[in-house]
Amino acid sequence: MNRPIALELKNISKYFGSVIANKDVNLTVYRGEILAILGENGCGKTTLMNMIAGIYYPDHGTILIDGKEVVIRSPKDAFEHKIGMIHQHFKLVDLFTAAENIVLGVDDNKKYNINEINETVAKMAQKYGFNIDPKKKIYDMSVSEKQTVEILKVLYRGADILILDEPSAVLTPQETDKLFEVLRRMREDGKSILIITHKLHEVLSISDRVAVLRKGEHVATVETATTTASELTEMMVGKKVELNINRPEPKNVCDRLTVKGLNMTNSDGVKVLDNVSFTARAGEILGVAGIAGSGQRELLETIAGLAHPATGEIIYHNPQTNADDNLMDKNPIEIRELGVRLSFVPEDRLGMGLVGNMDIVDNMMLRSYRRGHSVFVDRKKPKDLAHKIVDELEVVTPSTKTPVRRLSGGNVQKVLVGREIAASPTVLMAAYPVRGLDINSSYTIYGLLTKQKEQGVSVIFVGEDLDVLIELCDRILVICAGRVTGIIDAKNATKEQIGLLMTETKSANTPKEENNNENEQ
Amino acid sequence: MFKKLLSVCMVVFMLAALCVPMTSCTKDDGVFRLGVILLHDEASTYDLNFIEAVNKAAAELGLAEDQVIFKRDIPESNECFEAAADLVDQGCDVIFANSFGHEDYVIKAAKEYPDVEFCHATGTKAHTEGLDNYHNAFASIYEGRFLAGIAAGMKLNEMIEDGDIKAEEAKIGYVGAFTYAEVMSGYTSFYLGAKYMCPSVTMEVQFTGSWYNEDWEKNAAIALINNGCVLISQHADSMGAPSVCEDRGVPNVSYNGSTISTCENTFIISSKIDWTPYFKLICEKTQADEAIPADWTGTIATGSVALTDVNTKAAAEGTQAKIDEIKAKLVDGTLHVFDTTTFTVTVVTEGENTMNTKATVDDNGHLTGYMADVNTDAAFAGDTQVVSDGYFHESEFRSAPYFDIEIDGIELLNRKY
Amino acid sequence: MKTNSNHTREPLFHLVKRDALPFQKALLIRVIAVVLAVVLCALLSVALIGASPIKFIGTLFDGSFGSSRRLWKFAKDACALLCIALAITPAFRMRFWNIGAEGQTLIGALAAVAVVHYLGGSVDNWLLLVLMFIAAVVSSGIWGFLPAIFKAKWNTNETLFTLMMNYIATGLTSYFLMVWTPSGSSVLGALPFGHLPVIGHEYLVFILVTLILTALLYVYLNYTKQGYEISVVGESENTARYIGIGVGKVVIRTMIISGAICGIAGFLIVSALDHSVTTTTVGGMGFTAIMVSWLAKFNPLYMLGTSALITFLEQGSAQISTNFNIDSSFPNMIVGIVLFFIIGCEFFITYKIKRSDSHKKGEKIK
Repeated sequence: MNRPIALELKNISKYFGSVIANKDVNLTVYRGEILAILGENGCGKTTLMNMIAGIYYPDHGTILIDGKEVVIRSPKDAFEHKIGMIHQHFKLVDLFTAAENIVLGVDDNKKYNINEINETVAKMAQKYGFNIDPKKKIYDMSVSEKQTVEILKVLYRGADILILDEPSAVLTPQETDKLFEVLRRMREDGKSILIITHKLHEVLSISDRVAVLRKGEHVATVETATTTASELTEMMVGKKVELNINRPEPKNVCDRLTVKGLNMTNSDGVKVLDNVSFTARAGEILGVAGIAGSGQRELLETIAGLAHPATGEIIYHNPQTNADDNLMDKNPIEIRELGVRLSFVPEDRLGMGLVGNMDIVDNMMLRSYRRGHSVFVDRKKPKDLAHKIVDELEVVTPSTKTPVRRLSGGNVQKVLVGREIAASPTVLMAAYPVRGLDINSSYTIYGLLTKQKEQGVSVIFVGEDLDVLIELCDRILVICAGRVTGIIDAKNATKEQIGLLMTETKSANTPKEENNNENEQ
Repeated sequence: MFKKLLSVCMVVFMLAALCVPMTSCTKDDGVFRLGVILLHDEASTYDLNFIEAVNKAAAELGLAEDQVIFKRDIPESNECFEAAADLVDQGCDVIFANSFGHEDYVIKAAKEYPDVEFCHATGTKAHTEGLDNYHNAFASIYEGRFLAGIAAGMKLNEMIEDGDIKAEEAKIGYVGAFTYAEVMSGYTSFYLGAKYMCPSVTMEVQFTGSWYNEDWEKNAAIALINNGCVLISQHADSMGAPSVCEDRGVPNVSYNGSTISTCENTFIISSKIDWTPYFKLICEKTQADEAIPADWTGTIATGSVALTDVNTKAAAEGTQAKIDEIKAKLVDGTLHVFDTTTFTVTVVTEGENTMNTKATVDDNGHLTGYMADVNTDAAFAGDTQVVSDGYFHESEFRSAPYFDIEIDGIELLNRKY
Repeated sequence: MKTNSNHTREPLFHLVKRDALPFQKALLIRVIAVVLAVVLCALLSVALIGASPIKFIGTLFDGSFGSSRRLWKFAKDACALLCIALAITPAFRMRFWNIGAEGQTLIGALAAVAVVHYLGGSVDNWLLLVLMFIAAVVSSGIWGFLPAIFKAKWNTNETLFTLMMNYIATGLTSYFLMVWTPSGSSVLGALPFGHLPVIGHEYLVFILVTLILTALLYVYLNYTKQGYEISVVGESENTARYIGIGVGKVVIRTMIISGAICGIAGFLIVSALDHSVTTTTVGGMGFTAIMVSWLAKFNPLYMLGTSALITFLEQGSAQISTNFNIDSSFPNMIVGIVLFFIIGCEFFITYKIKRSDSHKKGEKIK
């Protein structure tokens, strides 16, 4: 490896209170390479990169660029050192064109000439193989186009070191491939690229070297060509992990929930659910695949009684009475009063499923506090439940009195899933239940869902990792722009097949996507 | 949970326990003390006038600094009683409150502490309440306003002579706070003073509905000037009207103190109540263990009504001499401000817009009688005949003004209660 | 900020977020803040009014604790503030920024006075008191209900709405004062009817009622289902929707309660203290109460302490104005300084300031 060193980190540490975000991290980045920063959620990848990009200031340690010690106190300093970061949440002005966004804030003492800029941007895009129209307004763009603008913005400022934070999270498999093509071309141009990710297959396909972080510390940097997925996982987790999901055969399958012809329009007049029909069965896991913001949230919220679509039917086949109840236009309380035991793990855990500032006991009470005629709340049963969940699901917490926002993502999710399962549901809906969780916690959740399935619950699982969907679910419903584009048998499904269904209408004309800020990770 | 609370309380009370003994006061030491309860503080010209008078009286009587205790920012509520009681605790022998709304709470204190004298400015109840230790006071400020009106009338005459305006254009604008006796008595006497010098004068009054609102007072003054008023006076506490006059170059007669420092080109003269004689009176009477008059009216003769120096830059020639001459006539009683022959009144007793219903007039429109509501009882009816000997006896049956007749020549542009 | 700058542009200090501080340490920081504030005020008093610091601090305490009368007044004023702070607390816990307690209390006081004005003397005193109470609670409840229903139905901005309702209440008060006082003075004076019975000291009933109210509200907020719903709605409306709480319903119900407690405050002010109403009867307590509630982190028990602290500062500074014979601007400044320190020290409870490494090293070399 004789390439010149572009960036060097020496003994970088950063603490948030007593939480160690990074500790004594040493890292070297060469010119003309793609370095993957790999680690589980919460291991300090983003914090480390933010210190290079000037968002945070390190508590200890030094940063060297081209061998010289530098101080980076702000993103502006970072740009002076030709470092640019593309964040997960885009920072673009919707009403401006691509080119206008790209030059916004550039202070080069040149006269503002939009035609010239359009040309420069077009040329730059061509050079790296981006497909973009500089005059297109941001609000007309898809998520991947917006990401392109963000990358060009950084390049326009002359960045030689680019940091991308989970760039594939918002992209389809096809779009990810295109992005990686562009990144390779940049590498050939001599740029250094740092790419934050926790997806192993991406690491293996794009990077030259991999730096693995665990609990804020740098474990090792290895050559991609000489490593394997299981070796990397072991480094990430710190122990050997079984990566197979057990999928028992469904038993006593019967129809539990039939959804017919749901149509829903959001406040902007965009159709978010388009004639959605499917059946969820007891004793199996129905996966829902689709690009983020394709209507998954609306679908689950509709079933849970939180959103009310214009037309359609939601028929619940009650196993106790054998009656068919229509859940349309009922609120969560009315649904519960019908005797429907429907549990819902929403994607926004602390914003919807739980109350971050309340402790575990009070969060347990959310579902049950109304019971009884007393005006006072009964905290005894929720307390018992809290202790039970903490014990059984091995929730790591100082006590059941700790506000849940203080818990780590995985423990928050265990509390939420634990509560929802404790209601002994007949239908269990879970939206992105493993998002942000470490590998061990993820597999705990998969296990819990499978156990529910075995107990005859109808599980609806909205996921983003196609590999997991294929391994965990019995059937997969693919949704695209609010439309069901296919319901396939998971055992015989391939990623490519699902990927195509996810973008089925995309090939015809590019529909607008919601720029929801809850981008996937 | 309680721990934090407990600790905070403990800290506070420990410190309190340390400090209280240092400042404990038992004041039954025979030293004379005056307590003064103020609605606001020095920022208000109304209260400043009292503070200055107290300080002047104290200096003249040779009282030490700790013999006068001020309570500032006391609202017109039970707080006023609290303040009075606290002043009693501090050993005050006579306590004074300066705002109209303080009255009931001062009376409450007077009943609770019969050994302490209580005095109250602008109040109305002392002569009906029958308490030995509760007293009202006011001043016949209408006399001062009448003299200020003389200066205004001379200014108007000068303008007519100079050809700036025609005689029938001599119109005064007046910015008032509220449409009740205290203000009405004031602008009417001011108008009569001007009319004494310049018979063709008329007046327009604009009320703001507030004792202190700079913007409203400014706007009212601008509206009056735009209406053709060539001289402005006001009865409200901010600098709104005088500053507009200085900007527009319109002569201004002020109230409650000189505004010459900011209005050097337009300020003519100002009348004000000087409370110094009253403070001296109550201190001396209390110290001598003599009775304080139940309802005291300071007059121009007692020095309670004062005029500032004439601003020769703005006033007409010979103003000071003329004022001195008229003042002498007021003091010796040869001239009365509300002489019924000098103005006419329109009485309307029928129809929707009744006017001056408590007044009786002769064929020429001159006032022959007026039943004023001197006793502020629940009836709010006229109870005392106040017109006799050819003039309206303002501030004689009680100190607070009760002249609330709308006389001819003055137009009220609005009403604010 | 930078001192004798070396070649790098490294900041001298930077901020680091702390963990939750242990109770004693957080308390220590708060106590230090108060002590520092008092020291600074004492120094200012030497510089500006020439008073000795000891005398200055002594006077500060003299204002509230100097005599048994002042102690009673201190307790009464703190309770008046506390009572209004209690009223806004349910709304604030719900993240409904009700800054209309001033108007809600005033309208309650006005309604109580209206009952006395029209019925005083013609009915029994106990019946009069009951009617006053009902009138005050209902009218203040309406004052709370109006912004709530607009918020629930049309998502109007509650801060502006409640603020504007204050002006309407003031306007109505001055209108009725004008109607009730034909002499035009607009000063009603103390009314002879509708006085709460006096037990022991004249303020004792008022203080006891407020303390009972404090306990009740603490229980309501922490141990009842409705209190729990308020917390959920305040923390996350989405969560409330998720478990089927009607957010609009809770907002309206809570604001009626908030208004009704203001009504109780208004009733108590009229029946136990002033026996009258003016446009300044509430005198800004509706706004000061926000600070009381906020400093106490919306906990009614802590509010006992914060209302006492603020009252202590106000009385102390009024005493300074009296004893040193100065206008109220200097005492007001003192209240401001102390509150600034108290609020400002929360920053040091959340963050600590860390000296940068290289500067430390540089120090060692020297």
